[in-house]
Amino acid sequence: MRNELSRRGFLAGVGAVAAAAAGCSSSSGAKSSVLQVWGGVPAASGPQKVVDAFQAKFPQYQVNYTRFVNDDRGNLKLDTALQGGIDIDVYFTYAQENLALRAGSGLAADLTERVQADPELKVFLDTDQPRAFLDDGRIKALATAREPYFVLFNETLREQAGVELPQAWTIEDYRATAKQLTTAQTYGCYTIPDVPRIKLGPNYWYDGDRSNFGDPHFEQAFALGREMIEEGSAFPWREVLARHLAAYQQNSFLQQEFHLWSTAPFNLRYLYDAKKYPHDFKVAFAPPPTVDGGDWNGGSYNNFVMVNPKSPKADAAWEFVKFWLTEGSGPMLAGGKLPTLGNVTDDQMITGVLGKEPDKYFDVDSFRRVVLGAEPKLATDTRLAGFPEISLAHGQQRDLCWLGEKAPGPAIRDVRRLADAAIARTERSS
Amino acid sequence: MVSATVTAAPAVRTEKQPGISPRGWIGFLFIAPNLLGVVAFTLIPLISVILLAFTDWNLVSGFGGISFAGLDNFVAIAKDPGFWNAVGLTFVYVGVSVPLTVVLGLALGIALNRPLPGRAILRAIFFLPYIVNTVAIGMTWLMLMNPKAGLVNQVLGAFGLEPGWFASSHWALPALIVMAVWGGVGYCSLIYLSALQDAPKQLYEAADIDGAGMWAKFRTITWPSLLPTTIFLLVMLIIGASQGFGLIALITAGGPGDATTTISYYMYQTGFQFYRFGYASAIGLVTFAGVLVLTLLTWRAQRGRALHE
Repeated sequence: MRNELSRRGFLAGVGAVAAAAAGCSSSSGAKSSVLQVWGGVPAASGPQKVVDAFQAKFPQYQVNYTRFVNDDRGNLKLDTALQGGIDIDVYFTYAQENLALRAGSGLAADLTERVQADPELKVFLDTDQPRAFLDDGRIKALATAREPYFVLFNETLREQAGVELPQAWTIEDYRATAKQLTTAQTYGCYTIPDVPRIKLGPNYWYDGDRSNFGDPHFEQAFALGREMIEEGSAFPWREVLARHLAAYQQNSFLQQEFHLWSTAPFNLRYLYDAKKYPHDFKVAFAPPPTVDGGDWNGGSYNNFVMVNPKSPKADAAWEFVKFWLTEGSGPMLAGGKLPTLGNVTDDQMITGVLGKEPDKYFDVDSFRRVVLGAEPKLATDTRLAGFPEISLAHGQQRDLCWLGEKAPGPAIRDVRRLADAAIARTERSS
Repeated sequence: MVSATVTAAPAVRTEKQPGISPRGWIGFLFIAPNLLGVVAFTLIPLISVILLAFTDWNLVSGFGGISFAGLDNFVAIAKDPGFWNAVGLTFVYVGVSVPLTVVLGLALGIALNRPLPGRAILRAIFFLPYIVNTVAIGMTWLMLMNPKAGLVNQVLGAFGLEPGWFASSHWALPALIVMAVWGGVGYCSLIYLSALQDAPKQLYEAADIDGAGMWAKFRTITWPSLLPTTIFLLVMLIIGASQGFGLIALITAGGPGDATTTISYYMYQTGFQFYRFGYASAIGLVTFAGVLVLTLLTWRAQRGRALHE
């Protein structure tokens, strides 16, 4: 008997294939009973321990943690997944522009009532130094970490140069110290702290409906950086760009190419892990310098956790968010995440952030003074019109200025022109 | 019965049903994987880009957030200094790298066409850059062109020259052009090599009898016979260079400043960094139109000039 393929048979076959394909896709996209959490921190740097502890306390829930790389491509992957209906219940946002975009586009559940109902979380209602992202007065995201800035000293090189460890200093002192520490083989510092941020605090790029780059501290920062590079007290920007050092500053610090490093807690993990990052010097902490009366730290509340409003497991998701903010604080210290709620002891902070042998690699007294004892003013931006465009323009013009190709004045004026255009365009289209 | 069958057969042929026969469906089944691929990864994105070019959309707001913008994106492109800067840089990048690649590829092709010792190995070596992974190429050149420790500057330093290469807004684009030429010459030479082996031998014999020199033979026989190959290479290289993205994204990210923000990188920035998908799509359409015009002009240039056997 001849076995011929009929049109109906063919269509049935195609239908079967399509159904199978749909079945495959729905198995990955369907809402499962497992709580799906997406974050940018590698699971091994703390999140897996939080998940394990949560599951031990709440055996009725199962949690799956998925890591996305916190760069343009990783964030695009998360946005596409959220839009495409992939099963995500809880996710993290790190950059302010992503926060505004996601909250403003209906991708973040309103957490206001849940926060108001919980006395333990009342700090998130503070609007002076906000730790929550508010969209039209409603809480859409909660900061899980605070990221104060500080200046790290290579103790061996500092002692060799006979320089005092500063406990309070100005940006001029910072430059003088970097100059004093500069040798024929090493640079004084990697780069300068964010001068206008220290002076102006939150939303420092904006002034009313225009940009704020007319403020003299922006030009001061461009000029200061350039002068320090020219005098050799800061790392040459040509090498920073050629070696892509912005992403690998820790390697140069560990190789003792410079003495001073203005950075934040997340980089401490390179300094206590002697197996992966071998070095034999201690590190001491100094506060960020002040700028003619301005004393904002330069750091911020960060690592915002959000709940997907489409999640059918909203209660379980909230339970997990609350656990992360409270009991999850301990495991996250290993990745340099200082808890927003401050619900860990000083000893937990020391062993969590500085590793198992804190005295071997750190001057613990200065850590106590600068990180544990201080209450720095942390800025969190809430104005974000044209933020990505402004960020790019500022970075591009800074590069040209610090390469010595463009004077600070014209460079900052170009930033101002581009930022004004970006703000006007964004506010016109919104 | 027999005669009825014989007479009925032609009638079936003439009354052929419209549509596809079962055998035809089987044929479709065989090409279905490729067809699905073309539809999913070429046709749908192409139509999406055309439609999105007339909208305002940031992806995150979902399909409900798409708003019709008419010709606004195209008007904005006309007034956008960033776009025109990118167009200028792309013209320089394409205008320098493509002719250089073709000329060097031709010279190399002619050289490799001669009976040299180890000719096969040389051909493979020159073709290698064309097939090596972009990331490996980028990282290698990044090390070679490091302004302080790179091999290139160590050699140039002997002559008192130390360009900043990727860390200089003046040298970054020339450095990318050098990489593009290096990557394309081997491919060009291989294509030329096969074309040279098809060149009309009797014309060379006649030219030898007439006592024509090397240059005269190249100008009157070799070059006209290679013209279709040259046009093919020009078209392919123009399209490839105007889409050049990987090395820029890997090495310079469009900088320093905007010194290497070519049109494809500008499109990426606009879409995937600023989330202005409608505007990025409009840039894509305008770029497509520009490259199409350039390709047609190049194609037209060969008309009536090629030498055929």
